[in-house]
Amino acid sequence: MALVKTQNLTKVYNPDTVPVHALRGVDLEINRGEFTAIQGPSGSGKTTLLNMIGGLDYPTSGNVYINEVDISNMKDSERIAFRLKHIGFVFQHYNLIPVFTARENVSFIMLLQKRDKQDIDRRAEELLHSVGLGERMDARPSQLSGGQQQRVAVARALASEPSFILADEPTANLDSASAMNLLDIMEKMNREQGITFVFSTHDARVIERARRVITMVDGAVSEDETKEVEQHGT
Amino acid sequence: MMYLKLAWRNLWRNRRRTLITAGAIVFAVVAAIVLQSMNRGTYEVMIDRMVSFGTGYVQIQDYRYHDEASLDNAFYYDADLRDRVMAADSRILHLAPRIQTFMLAANESSTRGAMVFGMDLEKERQFNQIEQYLQEGRFFESGADEVVVAEGLAQRLQLSVGDTLALIGQGRFGMSASGLFLITGTIDHPVMEMNNTAVFMPLDAAQFLLSAEDQITALLINPSLARQTDAVAASLRSELDGTELVVYTWPELLPEILDLMEMDMAMPRLLAVILYIVIGFGFWGTVLTMTMERLREFGVLLSVGMKRGSLSMVILLETLFISIIGALSGMALSWTILKLIDPIHLTGNAAETVLDMGFDPVIPMSFAPDMFYTQALFVFLIAVVVFLFPLIKIHRLNVLEAARS
Repeated sequence: MALVKTQNLTKVYNPDTVPVHALRGVDLEINRGEFTAIQGPSGSGKTTLLNMIGGLDYPTSGNVYINEVDISNMKDSERIAFRLKHIGFVFQHYNLIPVFTARENVSFIMLLQKRDKQDIDRRAEELLHSVGLGERMDARPSQLSGGQQQRVAVARALASEPSFILADEPTANLDSASAMNLLDIMEKMNREQGITFVFSTHDARVIERARRVITMVDGAVSEDETKEVEQHGT
Repeated sequence: MMYLKLAWRNLWRNRRRTLITAGAIVFAVVAAIVLQSMNRGTYEVMIDRMVSFGTGYVQIQDYRYHDEASLDNAFYYDADLRDRVMAADSRILHLAPRIQTFMLAANESSTRGAMVFGMDLEKERQFNQIEQYLQEGRFFESGADEVVVAEGLAQRLQLSVGDTLALIGQGRFGMSASGLFLITGTIDHPVMEMNNTAVFMPLDAAQFLLSAEDQITALLINPSLARQTDAVAASLRSELDGTELVVYTWPELLPEILDLMEMDMAMPRLLAVILYIVIGFGFWGTVLTMTMERLREFGVLLSVGMKRGSLSMVILLETLFISIIGALSGMALSWTILKLIDPIHLTGNAAETVLDMGFDPVIPMSFAPDMFYTQALFVFLIAVVVFLFPLIKIHRLNVLEAARS
């Protein structure tokens, strides 16, 4: 059973004026435990595909299934609830809540899920420890480096115990050392805990680490390569 | 709790902007309260005098007296009625029976119209400080043929303490009423109209003069607190239902003062509304900026699973926080300012003009609670209206466009 499945997925922007075909009948399956990168040149449709899989955008036609649930026609409020439960997001610009500490940023997602306070505190600490920020839990984003912020973002994405994590250019704003460190952490989580990661990226370092690389060209999957990569343990 | 924390901290992301916005609200609240306080303070003094010297907070009359203020429409007052009234409501504090009528007051050679008040001095003391206004001499003794004359009338009749005042008029049911009375004192009555016409005498002497033994024209009633007026009046109406006695509250007896006050208060109220509209636009500008510059953040929060309603709640809390800070600070500052300037002492021509009108040359400040919480209500309403913009924005927000913004 595929964790994520798209069926003849199309997306056309400006259909009534100057139509832009961002996705042209994409059929794709991503399985649990994958560490997958979607790559392609600008305008190839990789971000649109990621938005569709993340339930952030509506397809023009076709379907998106997450855990066999069709999210294509869900109402906005249903999608928000679905995202909270099933999908973790890591953004290029970290997008942490600037007035919250690292701990509060991670806890916030669990509070939205109305989880038990003690459970929230325990899990937030665990997650921050797991991304190497056990000593910076009470720092605000402005007091953290870009790499540290992105690690908080990863911890936040994991907080809701989602089915998978979508990471949109997660290393784009990071220096090499921070990017490698972040990738090490995510790879370790994938390897040891079986967490599924799906990246949209230009970054060769991410593509190199990914065990599956999907290449998008002109809104369609042009290549889908599964490889064996060398493990980079931390 | 997390939403409260988020909203509160968001407020201080741009400390200067928040303080400027709250400061504008403080300014509006202070201006509105101080302007109204000055006006209302003057009227409160006027009302207090009219009520304490004239009507009482509640008054009982014969049902015909209001339309025809004649001694023929006086009513019988004895210990039974007194006890019945006192028992009608435990909040009743004091009673003062009065008989009043219009008579001619004369000296050897001239005559002036006078309003004669027969009063029980002991009871009257519980209503007002009339003895404080005694200019010369002393107050009358109960049962004696003695009077205290208001200073304006005494001057017109060129009479002073120790002289004799002749009162000529008509008693109850057309009986002739005339008598000579020793002037034991003159009084500088704080109500100008009274100062030119009033003659005060013992209740029993007045009843005898007017052939109205045990009759009074009005029974003045004061509750423990002014705000209990309506409740006490309701109790009395219930108690006296089916009798020929009717119960009035002071606003019913002095409608012209309330009308005057309403007219006079219109300008400061209008100014306050204009001020609030201006401040409201400033507030709106702040909230608009706070919303527009955080659209990306809103998009992210919606992406990660925060409901639009919850996000709106956070923004509403931020809006309310600013308005609460502004309103509370404004109220506290107003109260401090009013305490510092209360009362404003008038000097020169202004003081003389006010003195001529029978008032002290001061502008007293009002500290009426409703004046304060009305402003808070105004600010709250502005906050709610201002909040409509982010509310609509959030509910129409396209997550992707916002995240890209």
